[in-house]
Amino acid sequence: MLHIGNEHASVCSGVSRRSFLQVGAAGMAGMSLPAAMEREAAGAVDPSKAKIRNCITLFLVGSPGHLDTFDMKPEAPEDIRGKFKPIQTNVEGIDICEHFPRMARMMDKVALIRSLHHKTGASHENGQRWMMTGHDFNSNDLKPFLGSVISRVYGAKSSLPASMILPGKIGNTGTSTPHGQQSAYLGSAHEPFFLGGDPALTDFKVANLAPPAGQTEFRIDSRRKLLKQIDELQRRAETRTTKQRETAYSRAFNLLTSPETKQAFDLGNEADKLRDRYGRNTFGQSCLMARRLIERGTRFVNVNHFDTVFNISCWDMHADGGSLNNTYKDYEYLLCPQFDQAFTALVEDLETRGMLDDTVICVLSEFGRTPKINGRGGRDHYPSAWTNFLCGGNIKGGQVIGSTDKIGAAPHDNPILPPQVLASIYHAMGIDLETTMMPGPGSRPIRFIDAEPIRELF
Amino acid sequence: MDQKFEGTPKAELSLQGRKVTRSEVTNDWGSQLRWKVARNGKEVATASARVESTFESPEKEAGKYEVVLQMFKYVNYKKDKDGNYTESKFIDISNSVSYTI
Repeated sequence: MLHIGNEHASVCSGVSRRSFLQVGAAGMAGMSLPAAMEREAAGAVDPSKAKIRNCITLFLVGSPGHLDTFDMKPEAPEDIRGKFKPIQTNVEGIDICEHFPRMARMMDKVALIRSLHHKTGASHENGQRWMMTGHDFNSNDLKPFLGSVISRVYGAKSSLPASMILPGKIGNTGTSTPHGQQSAYLGSAHEPFFLGGDPALTDFKVANLAPPAGQTEFRIDSRRKLLKQIDELQRRAETRTTKQRETAYSRAFNLLTSPETKQAFDLGNEADKLRDRYGRNTFGQSCLMARRLIERGTRFVNVNHFDTVFNISCWDMHADGGSLNNTYKDYEYLLCPQFDQAFTALVEDLETRGMLDDTVICVLSEFGRTPKINGRGGRDHYPSAWTNFLCGGNIKGGQVIGSTDKIGAAPHDNPILPPQVLASIYHAMGIDLETTMMPGPGSRPIRFIDAEPIRELF
Repeated sequence: MDQKFEGTPKAELSLQGRKVTRSEVTNDWGSQLRWKVARNGKEVATASARVESTFESPEKEAGKYEVVLQMFKYVNYKKDKDGNYTESKFIDISNSVSYTI
């Protein structure tokens, strides 16, 4: 097994900075590239025809209450409509919560989907699996993460990984079932790369990607040459896969040594004013880093707004007086302002750089929250209705797709299921869902999402 | 991973008549930004300061008014039995300006 330095790290649900180097090694032990079909070689996917080249998802772990944010019901009884008031956006007829004033000014770019729902349980992990993969599944039948699918279909376009998750993977959100942030049967080469650090910290440095102490450039170069030779042997042995892009090993080396990598991770190169505009917090700086990564060749970035729901201020507003004691105050003072600032900064920044037309931004969450406020002043999990939204790329903004009933309890019209959202993202990125198959278990070609795109979005 | 915040936010206020203007906030944590209005040393109102950079208090009662810019400082999520934060709180991030009615 190849080691760079003396780090020993296993690869399970994700790849850390250090263990990324060993992803390739794990594959090398078997001496085989993925035996699946080469999509691009088969002509099923043409990246040049992709309507959207990049995708950023902002995942609001814990899930905001739809009635308190993007699907307000001011005419409903007090114990349903909640504390906050709606404000008019720049699109007539679309109101959102008063605590998103910046977003209200760019609603013409945003398509709200107000009739999302699913019926497979109210745990966070259920919702995460649906929204990260488009499937529900258990540990014995893992399905690939959205970013892994995009990585598998299009591959990397620079030395940076094709799919990244910032600032870290989702941890404990209640049950020990999968969250959906894994490559599953697509293999280790398509595992999302977890940043595993907090870009809001002043001591966050790209130096973390540097070789461990004692690993000289000479040793790195020697190993690179050795791996190149192995790659050559492998290519000769595998005629069907000679068009495969670079292996995980060379990607790992590239990641370690490329100046592009150092640039991408160094937020110090951004103007202070822009860093302020995103918000000097973990989420805001992660959104800024997402833009930098996309700009430098990463195709897909997911930013997790929180990695747990316990003992922190987050969207999981149970108001339980214990470890889940989030209330309206957390929404008003911290969460809504933080999201409003980072999300709108990201949209503005991409637009200023001429990147918004090439990048779809998706704001996703696990479920909604109960229409009736609980006895402690909070709201609990509610997968029967919620709102997520998309913008950028060729998404038609300034519209609401679907609606809920008078109390936000159930879809009233155009009910939308999670796989339709993922199918829409794939469709927007130029992936033909009819002809592009994934290598399923046992390399059996399978359709990777059982849904059609939401046509109104385009 | 709880949210981390970088630096200490700062802004400058200036006064023309009763109209207060704020500079941009440096080291902006991105949490709630508000005007705090006090009359004769006692808080009488707060108002959101996130979108607009100018503010004129609607308060008309006679007295000495002080206006300062505040931002919410998140330390942790802990609250007392009445739901008030025990450690997180709003802090002043600017100079205060004053006028008398």
